[in-house]
Amino acid sequence: MEPQILEKLTLLAEGAKYDVSCSSSGVGRRNQGGLGSASSAGICHSWSRDGRCISLLKVLLSNHCVYDCAYCVNRRSNAIPRTAFEPRELAELTFSFYRRNYIEGLFLSSAVDGSPDQTAERMVESLRLLRREYSFGGYIHAKIIPGIDPVLVHQLGLLADRLSINLEVPSPEGLARLAPQKKPSAIFSPMRQITGTLMGQRSLSGPGTMFKNKPASPLASLGGGDSFFLPEEEGKKANFPSLTRQETFAPAGQTTQMMVGASGESDQQILLTSEKLYHTFLVKRVYFSAYVPLVDSPILPSLYSKPPLAREHRLYQADWLLRFYGFEASELFTDKETNLDPELDPKITWALRNIHHFPMEINKVTFEELLRIPGVGVQSALRIMNQRKVSHVQYEDLKRIGVVLKRAKFFLTCNGKYYGGRDVVPEYIRAQELKTAQGLLNEDKIRGRLIPPEDPQISWLQDNTTGLLRHSLFPELTGGTQ
Amino acid sequence: MMDYLYDKTWEGFLTCIHHHYYREPAHDIQPSSTYQHSFTSQATQVETNPEMAEKVYHAIEKKFSGYDQIRLYRGFLSSDPDKEKILLDYLVLGFRKGSSIGMYHGHPVVARFTKMEKKVSFEVHRLQGLVRFSQMTGDILYAPITPDHDVTQLLAHHFCDRFSQENFIMHDTRRAKALVSSQGEYVITTFTPDDLPPLSQEEKQVRALWKTYFETIAIKQRTNRKCQRNFMPVRYWQHLTEITTPLEESPLEAWENSHPSSPLIPDSD
Repeated sequence: MEPQILEKLTLLAEGAKYDVSCSSSGVGRRNQGGLGSASSAGICHSWSRDGRCISLLKVLLSNHCVYDCAYCVNRRSNAIPRTAFEPRELAELTFSFYRRNYIEGLFLSSAVDGSPDQTAERMVESLRLLRREYSFGGYIHAKIIPGIDPVLVHQLGLLADRLSINLEVPSPEGLARLAPQKKPSAIFSPMRQITGTLMGQRSLSGPGTMFKNKPASPLASLGGGDSFFLPEEEGKKANFPSLTRQETFAPAGQTTQMMVGASGESDQQILLTSEKLYHTFLVKRVYFSAYVPLVDSPILPSLYSKPPLAREHRLYQADWLLRFYGFEASELFTDKETNLDPELDPKITWALRNIHHFPMEINKVTFEELLRIPGVGVQSALRIMNQRKVSHVQYEDLKRIGVVLKRAKFFLTCNGKYYGGRDVVPEYIRAQELKTAQGLLNEDKIRGRLIPPEDPQISWLQDNTTGLLRHSLFPELTGGTQ
Repeated sequence: MMDYLYDKTWEGFLTCIHHHYYREPAHDIQPSSTYQHSFTSQATQVETNPEMAEKVYHAIEKKFSGYDQIRLYRGFLSSDPDKEKILLDYLVLGFRKGSSIGMYHGHPVVARFTKMEKKVSFEVHRLQGLVRFSQMTGDILYAPITPDHDVTQLLAHHFCDRFSQENFIMHDTRRAKALVSSQGEYVITTFTPDDLPPLSQEEKQVRALWKTYFETIAIKQRTNRKCQRNFMPVRYWQHLTEITTPLEESPLEAWENSHPSSPLIPDSD
């Protein structure tokens, strides 16, 4: 291999690393006679110094860019060395990494080199070489550049396992300010096309379609007045290339990503937009990326501000509630509270606000209700339901089943007995939960593993002051009325 | 009550289960090689009997389920020092409860078994990602592994399918055995790496590329070594080429040095 390939790899990985998605899940495929297979659960191959998993070789095809998006490291006005992979170089690299089991496949993105269509054509060419000539059967994730021709979207979908189009900014105003060359309609058109083709192929499944109250016809659910989500050709009959019997189009579906903390949206706006994307386009995942300041710009957070990692973590917790726990985004907020509570996870916050549902009797409530108990996860809820078929669930069983009792004990009864100590008073429970969170106990350990310790948003000082405030409120509240 | 001693094979273990029901109830089952005799316990050496083993094996499928049969075998591959006792308890309970055994998630016996079996399955999944092959001269891929549990066999299906056009050796250095595969076929055999050919010319370059990629892809501002170690425990690092390859003249640093404007936060450790 040529020596300059090392330099190219450095530059092009550097340009791609802010893309969040690295999952290799969603498609199971046995070896088709060449090299490689795909595992439906996905496989992580390594973890980098920031604790993010490395599953795919994540690179740009080129970092020459004609766009000038304010937040992006590859924007035209940034003075960085520019380079591009030759299709064969990229195929060779992917192949030699894959057969050493370094990676699960390729994540191919690109800056807009020339025009969106030209860039997409080169991506198609590269992927075709890898799939056909190298008989590569591993996972491929291809990024769709907004504004490319539907034919190119289709060709990329036939070669890749998963497609994604990044929304980046969760509101139309923010998008106009930070990425003036990207139009919302150019982002949602390909999303709509991919969903349409997948529905035609009848291969839409997984998280994107698991919602209980999902609309019967997802793409048609766009109401009036929601112009942000309207694709270009709305109203006209969509005319997308159709599939032949043998062809498979993006079997692992599509995903998207949004930045957190770059454009001033509230958590509520971000999650409502996510929910809309799940319902309308049945995307598999909406990723959040805490904005890492790379550019000194008056319209962006300062270069010396730290990425809002704690906030990103809470948003992901809420995203899980949407996708696996049957929550709706609107339930997590009130008119006053449009951001998630930084101190406690969104499920406890919801439970404290809706304390009239609790405590729930473990041996009686439905599966959906079990999922609403803080400290009970999907696995534990399934196990509880399972055991109830053959025997009563005792309080001692709960820990072995996997329930986090430290959290859950305030919200449940087991065979009629309540284990939370005092009465079910939100303020009391909140204080107890905060104690747990601060006492270097479970919650903190978990958080400590997910976000770096030096992050100022979880500094003890901050937590303690609010914690003390809550404590001092507590005696008056419970002493008098309860 | 009797302690049965067996030869560490699956068949030997199943023979002990047979004895538990047809001779004398077992107090514990232990490998004869590591058994500690004491004044209070009685121990018998069990001769492995393939017919008895097969009878028990089929009884598991009939009384429990095919799924439990596989789970029990996975549990048997664990390196937990009490694995035989845990399996014995689960089997005894299972023969009483029948196919619903898997539903008693809160039962201490079931929970203990599930925990042990899960550790084995999780290590299999983890190793599917963490195995690192090296290209040796003569078109052979070689990967040393040092798993906690005896999972080589459980990795065979995945790797032989994925690399069905390759010749590879996956060597469990702790147990001196290897999965040797050629063109999708495989055998598991005892192995010492004495006559292994040297690394190929190309290997060093590819490792350097991989190391570079590994260092480049991390976002400095998000550095979190604790999180990294949590997902990828240090005991697996010895065979990871991205960790063991020295970063000679790092192109990443060169790039950063030429761009002093980007504010970088120093590593936390």
